[in-house]
Amino acid sequence: MKDFRIDQESRGAVQIIRLAGSLDMYSFPRLESHLNALFQQGRYSLVLDCRDLDYIGSAGLGALIGFAKQAREHNGDLRLLNVPERIYKIIELLGFTKVLKVHQTEDDAVASFQVK
Amino acid sequence: MGELSKGISVGCLNNRVYARVVGRGTFQNSQPLRQFAQEKIDQGQEEFIIDLGPCQGMDSTFLGVLAGIGLRLRQNGPTASIHIVNITPRNMDLLQTLGLDRLFLINADAPALPANADYHPLPDTDITQLKQPLDKEETADLMIEAHDNLVRVDPRNTPKFKELARFLREAVERRHPNGEQKK
Repeated sequence: MKDFRIDQESRGAVQIIRLAGSLDMYSFPRLESHLNALFQQGRYSLVLDCRDLDYIGSAGLGALIGFAKQAREHNGDLRLLNVPERIYKIIELLGFTKVLKVHQTEDDAVASFQVK
Repeated sequence: MGELSKGISVGCLNNRVYARVVGRGTFQNSQPLRQFAQEKIDQGQEEFIIDLGPCQGMDSTFLGVLAGIGLRLRQNGPTASIHIVNITPRNMDLLQTLGLDRLFLINADAPALPANADYHPLPDTDITQLKQPLDKEETADLMIEAHDNLVRVDPRNTPKFKELARFLREAVERRHPNGEQKK
């Protein structure tokens, strides 16, 4: 099992958060702290790049909905990028694709914040 | 149980029920374990031994299903119990975080897993190669029940799962606006 890793870069006002490894109940608090810190800095336009994510747990996904809601309350959003097929199947099965926007390319994800 | 096939294997011997989880325990393989445990409890079995030694990790739904087994056994009296054996520090941390260490007996004089129990793999519990697609409604119901169990065991779990629980309940409500059940 790979260690969970978070890297971040900015593209204008949009923060690209690159996740790697397993996002489970054990590692989720790290992402939670990271997102809360961004909110405290007033950064609400967030893209989670899931390309190197090999697992995401159900409770973690549920919590992401809460973060997306908070972001939207401040005219931002939390969107997903490069979701591996096996994880996308889970997201779709649980119906999360109805509330979390999923993008195929980083440019699309970033551009989507400019088009409201 | 010589060979460790991925997924959940179960067996019974001398009024004890054994289960071993190899790989991950998640919402994707919780339902077969839940059903198996229910059948055994209905048959009067009171002692469950769960080997989490080869378990790489568990999600909250799987832990909630284990909690449900523990809660049902607890209703059956003081002699009924669920033992967790061979737990790794990481999985122990998960149990403690959710307060499940108070419901289970952990590595506490648990009988060793006997090689002569009639083990067999529960079908379709290797989440790396599931054969049947999961049913959306069954999965949502299972997850709601599992997270309710976690809150019953420790009310401090409520905020951890409130978004997931709300989302799942709203989804069920949308599908069955008048509360009718799936046929």
